[in-house]
Amino acid sequence: MLAHLEHVTKRYVKADGVLDVSLEFPAGEVVGVLGLNGSGKSTLLKLLAGLLTPTQGAIRVFGQAPRQARSQFVFLGERDALWSWMTPKDAETFMSGVYEDFDVSRFNELLDILDVPRRKTKAMSKGERGRLRLAMCLSRDVKLYLLDEPLAGIDLISREKILSSLVQEWHTDETILLSTHEVAEAEGLFERVLLMKDGRIALDTQAEELRSQGKSVVDAFREVLA
Amino acid sequence: MSATDRWILDMDAGPIYLQIGIRVKEQLARGDLAPGEKLPSARDLAALLSVNPNTVAHAYERLEADGVIETRRGLGTFIREDAPVAGTKKETLEAAAVRFVNDARRLGVSLEEAADAVKEAWNAGPS
Amino acid sequence: MRTFRTLLWLEHRRSWVWAVSLLTSLIFWAWGIKQVLVSDIAARVGIRSSLLGAAAAIGLLVLAIMIGRLRAETRNGQYQVMLLSPPSGYTHILARFTYASVVAAVYFVAIGFLYWWIAELAGIHFDAVTLIELILGLPFFGMAMVVFPMLAWVLLLMVVVSSYRLAGSGWIPGTVMVFGSGVALGKLGEIMARVAYALPGWRIFRHALGAVVERFGPIDPDVSMEMSQVIYQGLPIEPLLIMLAVTALMIFLAGRIWQEVEA
Repeated sequence: MLAHLEHVTKRYVKADGVLDVSLEFPAGEVVGVLGLNGSGKSTLLKLLAGLLTPTQGAIRVFGQAPRQARSQFVFLGERDALWSWMTPKDAETFMSGVYEDFDVSRFNELLDILDVPRRKTKAMSKGERGRLRLAMCLSRDVKLYLLDEPLAGIDLISREKILSSLVQEWHTDETILLSTHEVAEAEGLFERVLLMKDGRIALDTQAEELRSQGKSVVDAFREVLA
Repeated sequence: MSATDRWILDMDAGPIYLQIGIRVKEQLARGDLAPGEKLPSARDLAALLSVNPNTVAHAYERLEADGVIETRRGLGTFIREDAPVAGTKKETLEAAAVRFVNDARRLGVSLEEAADAVKEAWNAGPS
Repeated sequence: MRTFRTLLWLEHRRSWVWAVSLLTSLIFWAWGIKQVLVSDIAARVGIRSSLLGAAAAIGLLVLAIMIGRLRAETRNGQYQVMLLSPPSGYTHILARFTYASVVAAVYFVAIGFLYWWIAELAGIHFDAVTLIELILGLPFFGMAMVVFPMLAWVLLLMVVVSSYRLAGSGWIPGTVMVFGSGVALGKLGEIMARVAYALPGWRIFRHALGAVVERFGPIDPDVSMEMSQVIYQGLPIEPLLIMLAVTALMIFLAGRIWQEVEA
């Protein structure tokens, strides 16, 4: 088990983030975390990353508190997290200086594959920045990837490149949790889907299971949210 | 047919691994894939179709069990030389027939009307 | 070590504009000093010294802002990137503190140098020892007493404010900290006053008076006596040690809270 949550609740001052969520994530799964805004998907990923601490319940990532295990996983946040003056070379300097498992040659390969321009991020489009951040993520040698809306607000071509790179770079002993609104586009990627509604897990099932019942993940998504 | 046309997947049409299997058989039946020809690796096909590599691997496993493809160590996945081309042709044709008959039944036409439609379409030539 | 160096590099890339602007502003102050052409020499030295006093105060403010920009990062995802990076909170805080301290050191040593220049322009020739005390000794004493604690305090404040962002307004504990610090500083001042000079003070400027007399001739004996006493008393060591300890404590706390911050 790479990570698990036990009866985790996260309450904010004004709203509930997640309510009594218990989940297990073994190695080798690609999991889609789906839901509307405010459903708790971002909160779930941030709890696993240790960016938030639960109001109740326990979270273990690689057997430790998430923050303690932070060098063993990748978290790709929703917000644009790069300094505006950074070029891909600067990103390389930062990542290789701070992460032991950062593979510089793989990073440069990914920059080419993802067609990332060698400019400052302030001179990049949102899609280009998204691709750079993905290249930074995939160049780390870890077993757990927490990707929070990596496709949000990004142009179609970039999204295709990102999904394609995820498929190419994923190894069968790695686990990816990916939250997205682009359910239709990404649904083929997921083995397991978690549908969240109002902070709870509304559905936790295998995607091919759904399809053998004649439902696409999009269909199940619509059903659950009705 | 372009690569993406040959591999059309419908998320509403059942498990992807089954659909991929059907697509391979269709291509074999049409001659788009020949016995002995190399298939893309599970990962490459997965990247092309934006699906999970395990799903493609599952599809390939089934095709291997069905005797359509084989994995040669270090070389890749290939259509078998003795792949049942005739059998897949029959399967593909029958599947198309089932779809046509279902459509026709839903329209409430008789077998004769349906057969006439087939003859007309056949004589009109490829579209 | 590699991670510390990388964080220093990052800090430099983030802040070099501020650092360079601050250091080049000294050219402006030097020019300003030259522009003072009051005929009375005592007044001239006085006005010029005040200019440098202003430069020091402004420098302090700029440094506070430079190091306080941590807060802006919380609004972007950069804070998340920092929190999830392998280096500990202590390493992150120390890197920021070190960079600002180095910039501060260069700035205040340069001001010490400008004070020497003002004396030279007035014809007061300090000896080598006084020179070193003026350019290095006094600035470092002043930094240890005021600048380093201030930098550490601003870092601590920013981390405290950021850590409560989600529980509502982070400015509530922030405001508490500001007022609390005011009270604490008062108490600290009392303690320092009581403890000061238990050990012999650090006597600097022993020959400074002599240099002034050499230039201007004998001074009024009462004034001369008073100044000699002050010089004999020297700079108090205990407050220096107390402030260094307080600085270290604040840095430690900032690093500790960083480990618990939510984003």
